[in-house]
Amino acid sequence: MLTLAFDTATATATSALVDDGEVLGERVSRAQSLLEDVDALLRQAGAHPSELDRLAVGIGPGSFTGVRIGLAVARGLALSLDVPGAGVSTLAALAAGAPGALAVIDAKRREVFAIVDGEPRALAPAELQLAPGTVCIGDGAIRYRDLFEERGAVVPAADDERHLPRARFHAALAGEAGPVDEIEPLYLRVPDADA
Amino acid sequence: MILGIETSCDETAAALVTEEGEIRASVVASQAELHARYGGVVPEVASRRHLELVTPVIRETLGVAGATLDDVDRIAVTQGPGLIGALLVGLAAAKALAWSRRLPLVPVDHLDGHVASLYLQPEPLEPPFLCLLASGGHTMLLDVRSHTERELLGTTLDDAAGEAFDKGARLLGLGYPGGREIDRLAQDGDPAAYAFPVARVPGLDFSFSGLKTALLYAVRDLGEEELAERRADLAASYQHAIVRALVERTQEAARQAGRDRIAIVGGVAANSELRASLPAAIAAPLSLCTDNAAMIASAARWTEPVAYPRYLALDAYASR
Ligand SMILES: [Zn+2]
Repeated sequence: MLTLAFDTATATATSALVDDGEVLGERVSRAQSLLEDVDALLRQAGAHPSELDRLAVGIGPGSFTGVRIGLAVARGLALSLDVPGAGVSTLAALAAGAPGALAVIDAKRREVFAIVDGEPRALAPAELQLAPGTVCIGDGAIRYRDLFEERGAVVPAADDERHLPRARFHAALAGEAGPVDEIEPLYLRVPDADA
Repeated sequence: MILGIETSCDETAAALVTEEGEIRASVVASQAELHARYGGVVPEVASRRHLELVTPVIRETLGVAGATLDDVDRIAVTQGPGLIGALLVGLAAAKALAWSRRLPLVPVDHLDGHVASLYLQPEPLEPPFLCLLASGGHTMLLDVRSHTERELLGTTLDDAAGEAFDKGARLLGLGYPGGREIDRLAQDGDPAAYAFPVARVPGLDFSFSGLKTALLYAVRDLGEEELAERRADLAASYQHAIVRALVERTQEAARQAGRDRIAIVGGVAANSELRASLPAAIAAPLSLCTDNAAMIASAARWTEPVAYPRYLALDAYASR
């Protein structure tokens, strides 16, 4: 089963082509040019878009615009290719790439996105409960490194690949595929009326 | 056939148009009600709604036309100007559709789209003509020389005409969108009751911000009860001032450009006083005056398509 996975919720987007668990290719993307990477992935694999069996798309949390670009691409592909898909939490995919670590995404406005008590939330970095020795990963961990390290957490070097979402994990985490139009973005914030 | 997609502001729209400019289907999902409680378009609210609506609207368009994506030869999409987050939703969906089918993509400038609403069947207008584009986002005078050449002769220095209507409506305690409300109320008012000044700016440009301030003072000077009594007069006078500015500059622009035909496009073209004041002007049907995707597909007939795979990195622009 050929799965195209991608996530454009964070500043460094990601895409991967996975065939029954075998990663055929994975690329670092930019949301606006995601399809360039997707195109390269398929060409490298000698596959045509019509051969895709399933989409796995990151639903955030992250940049609202980034999340929407990924979902709009997924919806366009699903409409065109009649292919089903599954939404994958960007936090869950990050965590899957760094077992035991806490995924922290920069939410801007002095907040981060993280899973707290099993639920994704937007909160001030100082509000995060951190057991000493907790490994924090993600762009939020890099941004608030000093604050987290002061409290005994460990933040790997900025160039550690665990900080970046990698779409192979989206493919691995994708549950049962259904209608892509029903995949909902995970914003975690109401729109700002004067944004 | 050309599939058009438009998501630059608060209408999610798709359309199927033939090479000859015949509209096979045009679906517009307006978000006006969603934004009414804010008294204007909230960009993040609009972008979220665009994502929810973009593929259902395309599906509906295909359904209305009794067509499938196999009938589509190229995809036209608004690239800008507009709300960047909103534009990116339509552009991402359009790229995905085009890429998956190896179709060419035509990035269309929203303003060219408005002008191209005049080129649709059943009565397409042939250039040259002088075009007034007046909407919530734009107030422009364009000398349209051919299907591909236009010159900007004048534009607003501050608020757009439609924006002036919206802000006026808010000051008068009317609903959103404001143009329709003011137009309706003005029918019962005296356009000469208040002499609202329209700023005299040099050349063929417009300025509406002073007018809005004048209305603010007029409203402030009236008590609540008096305001209720004079609301229709205020609306009529305010509308008259906007329309007078539009008409004077449009006629002057036509004279300078040597054009004997005037066309009006954009949401403000629906205004009854404007239509009455320019009786010889050609206006697109009301459904094509406000934002829609048929006009985007229409513009694509004269816009160079971008071949696969060059469009994959295409970005939207908020303004030129
Ligand atoms: Zn418009």
